[in-house]
Parts: sequence; C-alpha cells; structure tokens
Amino acid sequence: MKTPSLSFDKPVPTDTLKQKVVVELINVHKKFGDNEVLKGFNLKLYDGENLIVVGKSGSGKSVMIKCLIGLIPVDQGQLVVFGKDMSKLEKDDLNEIRTEIGFLFQGSALYDSMTVRENLEFPMRRHKNKLTEGYDSEQLIDEALESVGLAHTKDMMPAELSGGMKRRVALARTLILKPKVILYDEPTSGLDPITAKEIIFLIMEIQKKLKTGKDI
Amino acid sequence: MEFGAESWMPAMVGISIVREIGPVITALICAGRVGSGIGAELGSMKVTEQIDAMEASGTNPFKYLVVTRIAAATIMLPILVIFADTVALFGSYLVEHNKGDVSFQLYFNQVFENLEFGDIIPATSKSFFFGFAIGLVGCYKGYNSTKGTAGVGLAANSAVVLASMILFIIDFLAVLVASIFYEL
Repeated sequence: MKTPSLSFDKPVPTDTLKQKVVVELINVHKKFGDNEVLKGFNLKLYDGENLIVVGKSGSGKSVMIKCLIGLIPVDQGQLVVFGKDMSKLEKDDLNEIRTEIGFLFQGSALYDSMTVRENLEFPMRRHKNKLTEGYDSEQLIDEALESVGLAHTKDMMPAELSGGMKRRVALARTLILKPKVILYDEPTSGLDPITAKEIIFLIMEIQKKLKTGKDI
Repeated sequence: MEFGAESWMPAMVGISIVREIGPVITALICAGRVGSGIGAELGSMKVTEQIDAMEASGTNPFKYLVVTRIAAATIMLPILVIFADTVALFGSYLVEHNKGDVSFQLYFNQVFENLEFGDIIPATSKSFFFGFAIGLVGCYKGYNSTKGTAGVGLAANSAVVLASMILFIIDFLAVLVASIFYEL
C-alpha cells in the first residue's frame, strides 16, 4: 500500500467553523499526592475541529484526556461535554455520553481474551440503541475493519497482531458506534515512523469522513 | 495396632467428607486455582487499560467483569463440592474394598444411614459463601491492582492468601451457626 505524504491543513479559523462547543474544560485541577498535574486547565473543542495538545512526558496530557471522559475524577473545575456537566451526571447518563465520544488508548487496550471481531462487537452489543434498527453487525464490523485496512484480521486474536495493527483495530473499535468526538491519547507512541505516518493519515481520513471533532 | 473399628469407617469417612473435608478442601483448591486466575486476569486487564476502555465505551465494567465472576463462583462451588464429595466417597470405598472386602452396597448403606440433614445442609450452604468469598476477593484484588505487571502477580498472590484466610473464618462461623440449628 502506498503511504500518502503527510500534510496538515492550516488551522481553520474558528469563525469559519460552526461555533458549537462540544467539549469544554474550565479551570480543571488534578493532584496526585503532592504532584499537581493540572493547574487551572482550560480547553474548548468546537464541532468538527482538530485540536492537538502538545506537552512533554508527564505534563498531564493523558490525565487531562482521561478526566475529560470521566475515567479520572477531577479535584476542582468543570467538564462540559455536549452542554452537560460530566461531574453532575448519573452513571447511566455518563455512559450514554461516553458512547458519543470515541477514545483511542495509548496502548490500544484491546480485550485480549476476545477475537478482533468480538472486540468490535462488544460496544455494539452493549449499545444496540445507538445503532439503526435492523443493523447488520457483521456488515458494520466489515466496514470498520475495511476502513482501517484490516478486513483479514477478523478472526485473529489481539496477541497475533503487530503494534500498528492493534492500534488500527482499536481505532476501528472506536469508530463502530460512530462517535461525534474522538479522543486520541498519543496514537503513534511506540510505533515506527512509517506505521506512525499511516496511523496519522488514517486519523485524518476518518475525520474527513465522519466529520468528528478530535483531541489528540 | 488394631482397634477393630473397621465397621465405623464408612460412617466416619462419610460424615467427615460431607461436613468438612469436601467443602473446605475444594474451596481451598478453588481459592488457589480460581481466585488467583480471577485476580491475575482482572489485574492484567486493569494495567493494560482494558477496564478503562470498557468504561470509556459506556459499559459498566463492574457488572460485566465482577458480577458475572462472583455469580459463577457462588453457583459453581457447591456443585463442585458435591462432585468432590462423590469422588472422595467412591475413593474411600475403593480403599475399604481393597483392604476389607466391603461390598459397594454395604459401604454406601452405612454412609447414607449415618448422614443427616444437619450434615448436608450446613455444608452445602457454606459452599455458597465459600464461592462468593473466592469470587469477591479475586475480583477485588484484580480490579484494584496497580504498579504494572508486578502488581498483577501481587494481586493473584494476595487473592489466594486472603481468600484462604476468609474461608477458614467462614467455616468457623458456619459451624457456630449450624450448632444453633442442628445437634452436631
């Protein structure tokens, strides 16, 4: 497969975007013991916007992204996602919002006791209401895997895949519920430069196709 | 030294297996095998962010991973105890038959004649608690494991130790409670 050259579009001026804020972090504080990782962190993500958060190792990027989806509770501050304050939501409502947000973990986090097909099937089985009535799960799995170029891995176990393939399958799993926002936690960490380039290209293709907002 | 107590053997073996040896030994083996397995599996899922991934996809990992394992351990342990009791009684019959030429019918007649509800019901009931404890401890240790792969080993190890200790406490309490309702 020919890998297209990587090119980043110039940042789109926010006034040309729909000015709908989908994710907002307001004055967020998070401490682990004496180590204050987030000190009054603010962030706004607009609908359809690409936002990249850059920082050195240990600066709190992963903590911020995990706080955003409610995996780590914040000490202080507000997390507003699709207009709802995450800290005030009941567990069921929080889970409902989470289905609108895709999350690609740094280490892929594929369920290693399940095949690739079962990994993709898992969120669908849990959130049937999110899918159109009469959906064909097999077709959705095929489409998701084809979109990441791994249709042939359907019956393989995660342990049989390379690092780059795992990352792609994890991306396919993220896409299966068609989220409105996708969060990528260092999507190319630990990958060789060629695979990293492919993954970045794939992410940009997916963003164009699904018109999702994304935070990396 | 011979005591001439061979005729008591089926009754003694039957009662000791059904009351204590069967449930306790089976539970201890399960604590080692199942408890460590649950602890290690959940621990490894935790450190590789699989549990976080489940939560991030809007699934309640507690319901999916913990409740199912505890329920399975609670339901299956009594069944395993019944199976272990049967095998143990049959094994003891084979030894008796080999040594003293006791017939199958005579041996099991004596075993069941001497078994009462007071032996069977408390033993079966405590097996449910044993299973629950093994599942609960394994899940707790695995779900809360930290510190990477070293933490997984620690979770599996401490699940076995803690579950084994809890089994003896439950057994002690079960004997106390049973003594209130049945003449032991």
